[in-house]
Amino acid sequence: MNEEDLLKRSAEEREKIFKRYEQGREGAEIDPWEDPGFEVYHATDRYGFIHDKRLPSKVDPQEAKKRQIEVERQKKWLKMLKNWDAPASKEKLHSRVYKGIPNSLRSDAWIKLLHVETVKKNNTGRYEEMIKLARQYSTDARQIDSDVNRQFREHLHYRERYSIKQQSLFNVLTAYAMYNSEVGYCQGMSGLAGVLLMYMDEEDAFWAMHILLTDPKYAMHGLYKEGFPKLTRFLAHHDKILTKLLPKIKKHFDKHGLDAILYSLKWFFVCFIERVPFNLCLRIWDIYLYEGEEVISAMAYTILKLHKRNLLKLNDMDAIVQYIQVKLYKDFIYDEDTVIRHLEGSIEELKKHKLIKAGEPGREELPTRPFGEFKEPTFEQIVGIRTETFTEKEKVTNEIITLTSDAARESVEKDKECQLSVVDSVGFTGSKFSFDPSIDDASSLLDCEHTGSRRSLADTSVTSTADLSVFSTITRSQAHENSLDTHSNMSDNSVGGASSVGSGIGASSVQRATLSAHSTPRATPHNVSPDVLRIYVPYTPLDTPVASPHNGDLPKSIPCSFPDSNKIRIKIDNDELPTPLVEHGQIKTFRIDDFDLK
Amino acid sequence: MSTRSGQAQRPNGSTQGKICQFKLVLLGESAVGKSSLVLRFVKGQFHEYQESTIGAAFLTQTICLDDTTVKFEIWDTAGQERYHSLAPMYYRGAQAAIVVYDITNQDTFGRAKTWVKELQRQASPTIVIALAGNKQDLANKRMVEFEEAQTYAEENGLLFMETSAKTAMNVNDIFQAIAKKLPKNEQTAGQGSSGQGRRLAENDTGAKAAGNCCK
Repeated sequence: MNEEDLLKRSAEEREKIFKRYEQGREGAEIDPWEDPGFEVYHATDRYGFIHDKRLPSKVDPQEAKKRQIEVERQKKWLKMLKNWDAPASKEKLHSRVYKGIPNSLRSDAWIKLLHVETVKKNNTGRYEEMIKLARQYSTDARQIDSDVNRQFREHLHYRERYSIKQQSLFNVLTAYAMYNSEVGYCQGMSGLAGVLLMYMDEEDAFWAMHILLTDPKYAMHGLYKEGFPKLTRFLAHHDKILTKLLPKIKKHFDKHGLDAILYSLKWFFVCFIERVPFNLCLRIWDIYLYEGEEVISAMAYTILKLHKRNLLKLNDMDAIVQYIQVKLYKDFIYDEDTVIRHLEGSIEELKKHKLIKAGEPGREELPTRPFGEFKEPTFEQIVGIRTETFTEKEKVTNEIITLTSDAARESVEKDKECQLSVVDSVGFTGSKFSFDPSIDDASSLLDCEHTGSRRSLADTSVTSTADLSVFSTITRSQAHENSLDTHSNMSDNSVGGASSVGSGIGASSVQRATLSAHSTPRATPHNVSPDVLRIYVPYTPLDTPVASPHNGDLPKSIPCSFPDSNKIRIKIDNDELPTPLVEHGQIKTFRIDDFDLK
Repeated sequence: MSTRSGQAQRPNGSTQGKICQFKLVLLGESAVGKSSLVLRFVKGQFHEYQESTIGAAFLTQTICLDDTTVKFEIWDTAGQERYHSLAPMYYRGAQAAIVVYDITNQDTFGRAKTWVKELQRQASPTIVIALAGNKQDLANKRMVEFEEAQTYAEENGLLFMETSAKTAMNVNDIFQAIAKKLPKNEQTAGQGSSGQGRRLAENDTGAKAAGNCCK
């Protein structure tokens, strides 16, 4: 096909797609697979989602009580919405948003929280203009069409092909791609607009979306634009939070090769849509619209914190990913109120640790082109020719993500080498030491990379352990700042210290036989089962509260009866096979339940 | 404690024939049916409105091939051009790739060719590439001729099948064909000398490297 033909074909295609949406369902040619006949009213929940199963005819008592409370809250909210700018309203807003905006008033409240009216008033007629421009020049129609066709299709309003809501969704997205030409359309935006349109009309949703992208409070522009610059910044921040506050989870994920980008991308891009149940998602949105972008990081942390125990039990990446992405969407286990309480706690906790902010946005994250200024699309854009090479921005993103991933792998490898060295120095192989899995507060771990005081503790006592490097794993963000080379010092340190501990254990004359007859660990360090020697040292447990107040609700079993601080305590996991011992040439099973070393 | 795939992981556990683990990546234009192929292969399901993949998805599936158990670690990627910049991290270290196009859309076939080129240039030189012409159930709207795709595949040394995630046609077959073509004997655990073994050790977790192909 020559250029002219290609252009003609693109124009025809655009024409065809737009026409179908303009026409709506009336007389539309709809493939049967696009439009299932449905008998749905009995299976549609209060948010409009249609379920496979008939919903219970009676609301369960707990839910009924909740709705009763919501009715009470409606009255308060109605009053507040009328006097939005009154000091009394502002005072109560925080606690009321966290309690959940009544669903019937969500649209009013969201419009207020986002200041949609002001922006809309300042841009009268612009939306119509953009719709017209899109009609004539949109280069994103095909992608948007294919995404509208699969966004929220289980929702009453989006279920029918070319339904009014599908038309609105298509209009908002194509118009917005014209208005903010730097972002255009990026997959994920259909979810965002899809939710907004459940609570707003087209034009409000359009401006709400614009505010979410460009108001510094939300700044999603940087997420969606080419190269995803904000994503890399938020991923690094997320890693930092995990390293500091959920080190066991961090290590667990690293061990199984799970990069945060895989499970958390959608959290950041669409604010938990289709990753947590919809009712919880709405509650998070309430707070997101009220507080801004910090909520996303805090919620990401909250999810992993709440599900830490279950996640630590899952021993391959597949299972972990399925849990985070599929299971939690279907059943979050905790009810919304509990989750939101924890989210609020997480926000406070992150503030306390100065981890609430992901840092300042780089210039590359901010919009650079004026909005709504029409620029004739290029031939490549019109025809949709894909580039075969990466742009500079894309290369940067790619490099950061690859380096991050490599850094995690490297630290895992390093850990193993460390552990093996210890094991060797003691003459152990095939044993599995571990500390109490319920302990995962940073305050209860040796975390010398991040807390100077703990570092000195580690240095001055005999408590340097094989695991120092494990928990001091350089955060991935730091790792690429430091060109990935920062591990070496640490490991030297810990190996040296570890052998002294090792000899202590050796002195207790516990002997082990290797389970594996293949090879010595030293010869092929990467292929030996990941045996671990970890030593838990309580950090002045008598004066330091171990759990933060917000952890209070989580089940914990932090050991609290240590007579002296800095005592070495070794605990041996029994959930693995008991380790056999060689005694008089015969293999015997050996078990240690709780082993204190004075 | 999860027992999934445990038998494949335990370095000193009993072996039941050979156990091989391969990283496989799916690439292709948006909405050609990448996620649907995976869902069909892994769970035997099909959703008309498969939600669009944002970023990437990860699933595993194990198949048996004679005396060998082959475990696929499947990386399903987002098709939109914007997400192209994330693709290299998914095909890096992959031993197999399925490049998918939609037989009812000529452009997606063009895009598939671009993906093949990129893989040939950037991915592991030993990567096994399969080309899948999906949506075969819509053959009455066909825009890409079978022969055209087959010729292209032959010229480029690709496996080729037309598939339908909807009817399940050729879905298991294409994975089987890939499994057959993948080298299963050149590496033993711990050697890490072959290109592929090394790749795995580099890019995979240690735990997986240990349970890696063929003991």
